[in-house]
Amino acid sequence: MTTAVQGSRSRLPVLDRRWLTPIGVVLALVGAFLLMYLGSCSTVGAGTCDRFSQGEDQFINALTVGGMYALIALGYTMVYGIIELINFAHGEVFMCGSFVSWGLLTNLGFTGPISDPLLLAGVLVLAFLVSMVVMGVVGVVIERLAYRPLRNAPRLTPLITAIGVSFILQNIIFVGISNSFVNSPQIIPNPLLELGAIHIRLINLFVIVLTLGLMTALHLFINRTSLGRAMRSTAIDRDAAQIMGVNINSTIALTFFIGSALAGAAGVVQGLYFGVTQFQIGFQGGLKAFTAAVLGGIGNTTGAAVGGFIIGFIEVLASTYGYGRWSEAAVFTTLVLVLVFRPTGILGQQLADRA
Amino acid sequence: MKYARVGAALTVFAVVASACSGSTASPSAAAASGGASGGTGATINVKVGIELPMTGGEAPNGVPTANGVALALSQIQVPGFNITINQQDDAVNGKHSADQGAKNMSALANDPSVLFVVGPYNSNVAQAEIPVSNAAGLMQCSPANTAVGLTKGDAAKALRKTYPDKIAYVRVATTDDNQGAGTADIAYNIANAKTAYVLDDTQTYGKGLADGFEAAYKVFGGTVAKRDGVPDSTTDFNSYVTTLKSLNPGIIMYGGVTTSGIGLFRKQMAQQGLATIPLVGGDGISDGSAATPSSYLNIAGPDGDANSYSTVAAIHDIPDPAKFSNDYKAKFNSDPGAYSAPGYACTQIFLEALKAVSPGVTDLGKLREAVRAYVADPTHTFDTVLGKVGFDANGDTTQHTISYYQFDPTTKDWKFLKQRDFTADPVK
Repeated sequence: MTTAVQGSRSRLPVLDRRWLTPIGVVLALVGAFLLMYLGSCSTVGAGTCDRFSQGEDQFINALTVGGMYALIALGYTMVYGIIELINFAHGEVFMCGSFVSWGLLTNLGFTGPISDPLLLAGVLVLAFLVSMVVMGVVGVVIERLAYRPLRNAPRLTPLITAIGVSFILQNIIFVGISNSFVNSPQIIPNPLLELGAIHIRLINLFVIVLTLGLMTALHLFINRTSLGRAMRSTAIDRDAAQIMGVNINSTIALTFFIGSALAGAAGVVQGLYFGVTQFQIGFQGGLKAFTAAVLGGIGNTTGAAVGGFIIGFIEVLASTYGYGRWSEAAVFTTLVLVLVFRPTGILGQQLADRA
Repeated sequence: MKYARVGAALTVFAVVASACSGSTASPSAAAASGGASGGTGATINVKVGIELPMTGGEAPNGVPTANGVALALSQIQVPGFNITINQQDDAVNGKHSADQGAKNMSALANDPSVLFVVGPYNSNVAQAEIPVSNAAGLMQCSPANTAVGLTKGDAAKALRKTYPDKIAYVRVATTDDNQGAGTADIAYNIANAKTAYVLDDTQTYGKGLADGFEAAYKVFGGTVAKRDGVPDSTTDFNSYVTTLKSLNPGIIMYGGVTTSGIGLFRKQMAQQGLATIPLVGGDGISDGSAATPSSYLNIAGPDGDANSYSTVAAIHDIPDPAKFSNDYKAKFNSDPGAYSAPGYACTQIFLEALKAVSPGVTDLGKLREAVRAYVADPTHTFDTVLGKVGFDANGDTTQHTISYYQFDPTTKDWKFLKQRDFTADPVK
């Protein structure tokens, strides 16, 4: 991030450099909202349709689903940043996370909304904690068994084992639990909240706050803690980091733990928000998140978050304008265009800086 | 260079993903088992192929239909023949797959003792199979396909690549121009909706059905407020639901199958408080009660099920429903599915044809062709569980009846409303 904006300092003498990011974010959000606003009601005569509230709803839809993609994308990008592996099993980790939370909630006997706020908070904390820890451990085990033995092998080899792991995880769920959709308990009540001019459903608010919170925590962890510094240094130069006393194996394991835990959290969100999960959602979700990671600049955690939101917005925009059947084409066209003009993604590579 | 690597990685992933999504079916290896003995009095071993989606989210469609075939074979004998089943499954990872269907069809065509095939269930699978069965001269009878282009017009001729004028595909379900008209009839006349939001799942069947709906709905006098499509792997429908809110249509028409995600769509509608808007779909969502795992009613949930309508492209009031349903229950310990009786009917048509053509013929290849020619002949009619069935020059059934259903909150299942014969009572 720092290198990306350094050049612009001299050209914008009035603006302090640290204001660029917030201003950019605000401009992007306003622009996205304007696009939603303009696209809304495109097929309905004016006067019968409230453009503002339509645009607002679509904006919130995009933020919610984009946040979910971003959570998954973070894991892709962290792993790529540190060992340059496209961890294709990552989408399945997300899928398994949704099944962990489904299993936990159904076994606790919940089927619908919980009205007692304290109980709800407790169950939510439990669901996220269990799913994140379980999937984090699964991620570490995957790394230990499938990737670490191949760390110095040609790069295609661990890629193939990654695909193998993804099939193993998919088939464990397919054979062991369900070969089709299962209904996941939606324990968060669903009232429409009115916060000033903003109308938002509780579940959307929850997902947006949660994803932003997790991203902030991750950002602080990577940039402000010694473990985070170890991760960054391992990403930049593994051998040098080792010489400086960083324990490479545990640092990589930690990266897998965090990335997989975030995917586990996204899995819980899948169940809470959509109320359904299936053994195949990992493929689609993983592909979208992988696209998000590449779009934002693979290896760059901020980029992955940005990419996730962008993909959420593109999908929702397509259906807002009445071209829902083109939503996937729109996502991948954007990816191609970005890569043509900016091969390193929107924010460029940050963690891994080797050519 | 890194991005070259990413690209290579993606390619490898795609290749491996497609290669590994292999078949769970076990094609019969006993290609030579059905030897023609030639001697009088000896029984000839022949097979009926079943090509249906049998696993995953498709099981509620395929299994009851295949049971219909098995029931017919257990009840009706053809002297001189020992008839068994060559079972194929076109569901890959729990979803019907056109590629798998074509592979299965080749396996059936390469088994000389297979004289007839019942299937497939899904129209896009049929699209991939018709060229194969046409080249092999192997008659297939679909109990459930409804897409118009499979039999009619230039599109159908293009599918019959090898022998454009030889029919090797017939169906006992009527086509989506009729089924679309049925859904439009429900929307306009039963749900009293004068405006509709039309959504399809961008597949052969779904798009065709939605087209059929639009055409008929306009004739009735309804207005299509908006038409859109959703890619069939979508899980997030919230943006569509938001658009729906602004349109506030009288009804939502969905062209597609449950595995494409309509249950999720309905669930998200209910979540945003819009389940008061009725929804009508075709036989793609008429796939079992709310207790059937992965059926439309099961996924949409109790709130979403309310105000749902569906159709089936076959007669509901069959000549003797009690007998069929009792026989089915006695054998399989469950209620028949929407396409159990059509599966039974396809099998009856085969058995009747076999009876008619078999005297004096023992060669399997000749039998296969004779059965094909007999079934395809428009002058023949067959006595089936659905009543008298014949096929026109395209291979379409002469029965043009659509059955209407509505969700019943007490039984949590589809309840039969009425049926309409679009030959006797066309849309005007």
